[in-house]
Amino acid sequence: MNKVNNRRVIRQLAFRELKNSRRMNVVVVLSIMLTCILFTALATVGGGLVNSVQQETMRQVGGSSMAGLKYVLPEDYEKVAADSAVRNVNYRIIVGQLVNGELRDFSAEVNCAGSPDAAKTMFSAPTTGRLPEAENEIAVSTIVLDAFALPHELGVVIPAVINVGDQDFSQDFILCGFWEGEKISPAQQCWVSRQFADKYAPTPSERYQQFETMDITGYWQVDFDYRNSWNIEGKTVALLQRLYGDSDEIPDVGVNWAFSTSTVDGESVASAAILLLLIFAAGYLIIFNIFHINISANIRSYGLLKTIGTTAKQIRRMVRTQALIYCAAGIPPGLICGILTGRLLTGPILETTNIHLSSSASVSGRLIVLIALFSAGFTLVTVLVSCRKPCRIAGSVSPIEALRYNETVIAPKAESKKTGRISERVLARNNMMRSKKKTVIVVLSLSLSLVLLNLLFTALRCFDMDSYISNLIVGDFVLTHEDNYNDANELFKVTEDDVAYLKSMDGTAEVDPVYFQWGTLSMDGEPKHRLEQFCEKYRGSAPDEVFEFAAKNEVDADIYGIPDPLLKKMEPEQGTIDLEKWKTGNYAIVWMHYVGAETEPGETDFYLPGDKLTVAALDGGTKEFEVLAVCAMPYPLSSQRYSYLGGHVIIPESEYFALTDNRNAMKVMVNAAENRYDDVERQLRVLTDNPGAHVILKSKQTYAEEYGAFLNMLRLVGGTLCGILALIGILNFVNAVVTSIISRKREFAMMHAVGMTGRQLRAMLSWEGVCYVLLTTVCALTVSALLSWFLLRRFAEEMFFFRYHFTLLPVLLGLPVLLIFSVVIPAAAYRIICRDSIVDRLRENG
Amino acid sequence: MDVLRTEALTKIYGTGENKVTALEDAVLRVKQGEFAAIVGTSGSGKSTLLHLLGGLDRPTSGKVFVDGKDIFSLKDEALTIFRRRRIGFVFQSFNLVPTLNVYENIVFPIRLDGNAVDERFVGEVMQMLGLDKMKERLPNQLSGGQQQRVAIARALASKPAIVLADEPTGNLDSRTSQDVLSLLKVTGQKFSQTIVMITHNEAIAQMADRIIRIEDGRIVKGGEPDE
Repeated sequence: MNKVNNRRVIRQLAFRELKNSRRMNVVVVLSIMLTCILFTALATVGGGLVNSVQQETMRQVGGSSMAGLKYVLPEDYEKVAADSAVRNVNYRIIVGQLVNGELRDFSAEVNCAGSPDAAKTMFSAPTTGRLPEAENEIAVSTIVLDAFALPHELGVVIPAVINVGDQDFSQDFILCGFWEGEKISPAQQCWVSRQFADKYAPTPSERYQQFETMDITGYWQVDFDYRNSWNIEGKTVALLQRLYGDSDEIPDVGVNWAFSTSTVDGESVASAAILLLLIFAAGYLIIFNIFHINISANIRSYGLLKTIGTTAKQIRRMVRTQALIYCAAGIPPGLICGILTGRLLTGPILETTNIHLSSSASVSGRLIVLIALFSAGFTLVTVLVSCRKPCRIAGSVSPIEALRYNETVIAPKAESKKTGRISERVLARNNMMRSKKKTVIVVLSLSLSLVLLNLLFTALRCFDMDSYISNLIVGDFVLTHEDNYNDANELFKVTEDDVAYLKSMDGTAEVDPVYFQWGTLSMDGEPKHRLEQFCEKYRGSAPDEVFEFAAKNEVDADIYGIPDPLLKKMEPEQGTIDLEKWKTGNYAIVWMHYVGAETEPGETDFYLPGDKLTVAALDGGTKEFEVLAVCAMPYPLSSQRYSYLGGHVIIPESEYFALTDNRNAMKVMVNAAENRYDDVERQLRVLTDNPGAHVILKSKQTYAEEYGAFLNMLRLVGGTLCGILALIGILNFVNAVVTSIISRKREFAMMHAVGMTGRQLRAMLSWEGVCYVLLTTVCALTVSALLSWFLLRRFAEEMFFFRYHFTLLPVLLGLPVLLIFSVVIPAAAYRIICRDSIVDRLRENG
Repeated sequence: MDVLRTEALTKIYGTGENKVTALEDAVLRVKQGEFAAIVGTSGSGKSTLLHLLGGLDRPTSGKVFVDGKDIFSLKDEALTIFRRRRIGFVFQSFNLVPTLNVYENIVFPIRLDGNAVDERFVGEVMQMLGLDKMKERLPNQLSGGQQQRVAIARALASKPAIVLADEPTGNLDSRTSQDVLSLLKVTGQKFSQTIVMITHNEAIAQMADRIIRIEDGRIVKGGEPDE
């Protein structure tokens, strides 16, 4: 078969056709831009979020390397560095810990960095000064300096107490470099020189043996990256296999779980795929519509091309070429606008999701290139997929059909029709019936945005600030610890001195510390029986260890010691709180929970009022109490930690002190006297607003603000979504109206010729629009009401901060807007076809 | 009395080098009840003339009087209304409204005007044209000849001053053409309806009372009624 080279002429034809319809070009390019903006903005927000979470996690982990070998020898470093699959290989030598009393709030590791890059991957590269070279030099973070109350200046002397191996010794170091420390890091790095490391922590010659070698001093930590973060664990296994084969000298490895976002599981793939599909559908709807209009408008010229011998394939290629030209014009500006929009949106979203790293909110250059490539590709695919059907229509048109192209064919089923009145309205209604499928699609797509808007609006209105906040804070202020899972002492941050200071403050109405200690309950008698029954029923809904532990009749319990005034915050589920009994110190308030499965109310009440209970504090004594009431510690004042099966045991402060020696409180609730809110806050800030502060202040005010920010984010995201859907709905409507008008061009000309005035025609078209709006209204109201009632109401019942209100207001408010569109767009479209004279239009088919 | 009269009707398309004179100084008179056929080759200007007579297009210069009314003195909207009251059209391609049934199509211009339909008259027209059995059929259920008969009925239904037919048999086979044309002529005579028809078919033209010949945009014969 001969290969005909006609690409050039087809391309030329595509360009010529484009030149012909400038207005259409603008519309198509704009719609491609819009789609591209949609994709890019979403990708930027998504990428920014993932990136920020990853950055934040890396800082929590304390390193950005993908994986590392633990406690190895220099020879292992050489081996890894020589492997071709890894890059950025760095090492640090373990020296010891700083154990000064000033540093008790965090751990400060002393290491020797193999290179400046090693420090950089630990987020601990000196930004001022350099890494140490001389034996007496040290580089630390500002957090360490602050803890020593030293100025941020090079050359200051740091009086360190270092633990190396099993001995502590004092050593004065000179500061040679420092950087801004990350509070969320598990440990602060303190870099010493190689000289120091070699002298005090020489690298052992023996290999580190897990369980046998207790001392890790002098071993090397080797961190490295792979080319990409895909399947890090698999790559690491393969690496070990390559380097060590089957020898029994395989070192410990660690994989950075900041990258576990890229270790993909089925569920996240599915939800990501659904999301991508939805976004794709949104873009598809926009672009498909525009192309469809375009093809309908040009159908005659395709017919003409066919009569003179253009094949269907060539016409399809021509249309596709045009699509590519449109993409070339629309995608670049779309990318730029999209990235800008995405960055604008990322800020507020990050703020409300409590990712505090301002530095990571900015999306890196490499990520932007990736996002741009992804979005451009995605848009291109969308365009190509969207124009497939229009291409087919254009290609399959027969010359004669094209000349008398009339989109809507009356189903031949209908042989006759009862004679009725004739008016613009009736004509409009008849026209709506011509293509039921199209009518349904337009109505559904218009309804979709209204329904979603209504759902969103209802949901936002259902948020109840008071119940939301009451679950987050009790009283005006709560002085508490920072969330830091790396700190074993995080629940004991409010010192005795702090409590004394709080009690001495001026203008407070109430200062109630909550003391906390881990503990266990030993079950006996009736409670034991209830627990056994419970375990029998729910075995299998949690790991076996949970039930094995319970089988020993021991259950984890948070022990809370509280002052008497806090009793009034308790809302008992069973029993009553009797202050007299409570004051004897022989009574406890108990509450048990199980998080492995949904349980029936009361099923976890192993203890009932009157039962005896024996509590053992983790670090101290044991005591027997009688159960006074069943009641949980209010969430904001609880430890907010849950084991599978566990409970709260609330006892008087005095009894708590008898059980344990720990005098530090977990949280302190502070209520201000009337009109003294600001005074109290100022005094509280003394404790929290200093660099060495180990507690933070949560106030009703900040939660109210956070709540507002959260709502704003929902509004922003939801509003954008509704906006996009509304746009698609309206575009579908425009598509329906414009194509139907263009394809009925001749019919209208004939009606005009036999005496239907322009006004009457426009009225008829507007009535068609009104028909759409009426159908949409019925559809949107019904669906909204059903969804609101059956879905949102049930959802609201589940959520503690939801208070359900039924409303259809947004749908009703959307109507006037739709009505305006329905009247204006058809009239405008009619005006456009009127540019051709009636004689030309009548002549169109010969 | 002249139902239709033109004064130096000229239509020029384009300007400068592209200038085409489609019609030049056409003078034409048609009397009440006359059946005139305008005959010419394609491109001779006959369609342009018909469009101007029906007020579908505006002339470069000259005037058209229908029932003594200078139709181009009317604004577009008023002209459309005048058209549906005083001028009936029959097109080559039938041009029926696809969503309306036969009867509704026929009374469409009257209904557009908001007037009551003269049921007796419409019934009579429909009977003459053999449409009384298919009142409620939709256009796509009809043959070409039937559709054109509906179009003729529509043109007659509002008792216009004049019926303009643009190649009414152009899309029909020759037998059906004869039938349709006979019906047009007979109904025209019965209701003493003035009809102006365009055709390029001499045989068809012979059925008319008068033949107006047009060549290169000029009326060369038959512009005035035979006295």
